[in-house]
Amino acid sequence: MRLYFFREAWRSFRKHSGIAYTAIFSLAATLTLCGLFLLLAHNAQVALRLIGDRREMVVYLRDDVTTEQRDALVARLAELYGGATYVSKQQAWDEFAQQVGDPQLLESVDQNPLPASLRVRLRPELLNFPAMQQAAKQVSEFPEVEDVRYGGEWVRRLDELSAMFEAGALAVGLVVALAIVFVIYNTLRLTVLARRHQVEIMSRLGATDRFIATPFVIEAVAEALVAALLALGILLGLQQAFMRQVVSVVFLSLPWVAGFVVAAMVLAWLAAMLALSRVLRAVGS
Amino acid sequence: MITFEHVTKRYGERLALDSVSWHMDEGECVVFLGHSGAGKTTLLRLVTHETHPTAGTVTVGTFRGPRLARAKRALLRRTLGIIYEDFRLLNDRTVFENVALAVRITGRFVDAEVVPRVLYALEEAGLQQKQGAFPSELSAGERQRAAIARAIVNRPAVILADEPTGALERHSAGEVVALLKRIHAEGAALLLVTTRPGVAEAMGGRILRLDDGRLAGEGAPPATAAATTATVTAAARATLAQAPPSAGAASTTVAEPPGGASAMPPPGPAGPAPGAAPGGAP
Repeated sequence: MRLYFFREAWRSFRKHSGIAYTAIFSLAATLTLCGLFLLLAHNAQVALRLIGDRREMVVYLRDDVTTEQRDALVARLAELYGGATYVSKQQAWDEFAQQVGDPQLLESVDQNPLPASLRVRLRPELLNFPAMQQAAKQVSEFPEVEDVRYGGEWVRRLDELSAMFEAGALAVGLVVALAIVFVIYNTLRLTVLARRHQVEIMSRLGATDRFIATPFVIEAVAEALVAALLALGILLGLQQAFMRQVVSVVFLSLPWVAGFVVAAMVLAWLAAMLALSRVLRAVGS
Repeated sequence: MITFEHVTKRYGERLALDSVSWHMDEGECVVFLGHSGAGKTTLLRLVTHETHPTAGTVTVGTFRGPRLARAKRALLRRTLGIIYEDFRLLNDRTVFENVALAVRITGRFVDAEVVPRVLYALEEAGLQQKQGAFPSELSAGERQRAAIARAIVNRPAVILADEPTGALERHSAGEVVALLKRIHAEGAALLLVTTRPGVAEAMGGRILRLDDGRLAGEGAPPATAAATTATVTAAARATLAQAPPSAGAASTTVAEPPGGASAMPPPGPAGPAPGAAPGGAP
């Protein structure tokens, strides 16, 4: 019986190939646009993750802090916020010297003015502006601490950018979802109306709505699958061309690819069920 | 089996059926005879729940009520075998596939079980040689026999026939009447509507006359009594002789109204006993 439904879906596809190809190419175009944005969002996410990894809090120590006090502070910070690395006054000067690079300028400074510090690599859950702000405030109240820096404005902007990408992806996702539903809905209406005679006969022979609808649903889901694979092929081609010509762009990861295909198929299924529930009531009296 | 209790059906202002009451039992043959527009097709559409009564109650087996849910309506239709004047075959499928569709719709059989059932029905309709043909490759009579095979393939308790000979010339009409009589003789109830008194009489069942949506009486109209009883044409004789050897002895003497020059086939060959296995069916 299951084989029968697949045969019927294939028969419908062949008989109304014009409608079917129109649906596939419309869906492929929609999904390609969606995929382009996903690719952009994915690459932005990867970039933000890399930048986010470098977010750290620098805790400047008072000059009179003893080694014991410093070690206790390192342990406390590691426990509360993340692993801390000690940078001595000399190390800080060496880094500064390397960055400045001009020996004459460095010689004009009599004494090393840089304080020793602890660089705290914050835990992932603290990598956002409000959490970092609060952490900095708490750490600055420790008696051993002279000052705390964490690039607040920069972190805030990074968070805003990340939120903007997420909102954009959601908006584009919603628009594409609606487009998929619209395309499948209308394609199936056309297909069923083109086969009105058959649907009427089946209904009069006692076919249930489910029996009549199943081949149409299979056809819609298969069209969405083909369209999604076509769109992924186009995106892969674009990514390869872009990588060769312009700049390194990573392709969607496997979970994203799977999600993309499954989402297209699920949306097609939903649209098909919606269209058929309405059109069968009109046709199969 | 089927009961109409004061059933009225209106299409807007037009009255199609006016407080019609009748009943048919299991295995009975009832023929509604009436002119075009008398309400015959509406009556069948009420039985199949393609339309709903404006007033009154229609009962078909255990299905009773003015408006059945879609799933129940599908279930009801699976208990019926329906034959239309215009055949209603799917032109992009072979005869075998058209008949098999009715079996698959029941959802009770796997693919391997579908084939013998279809072949059995095709053999009964005398179409086993045409199972691979498309409807467009068949004559009108063969198309109607394919539709009959589709109607009987699930062994329904009732066969509904809406002017089954309406689109057929005399010879094919005779074949179809003979086939329907044979199916009825095997035990199926038969509800047939027709405009042709000759066909109504040839069926040999109870005749109810419909006139402008009202029951006008029982039995053939007086004019038919004086009709010429048609004799079997040589062509019909030859065709019926090719029917399955187990075909029954149902009599098919069709009377035509005065002036009708047609001749319907007489007794068809003997039909198989109910439930008998067809010769040559796999």
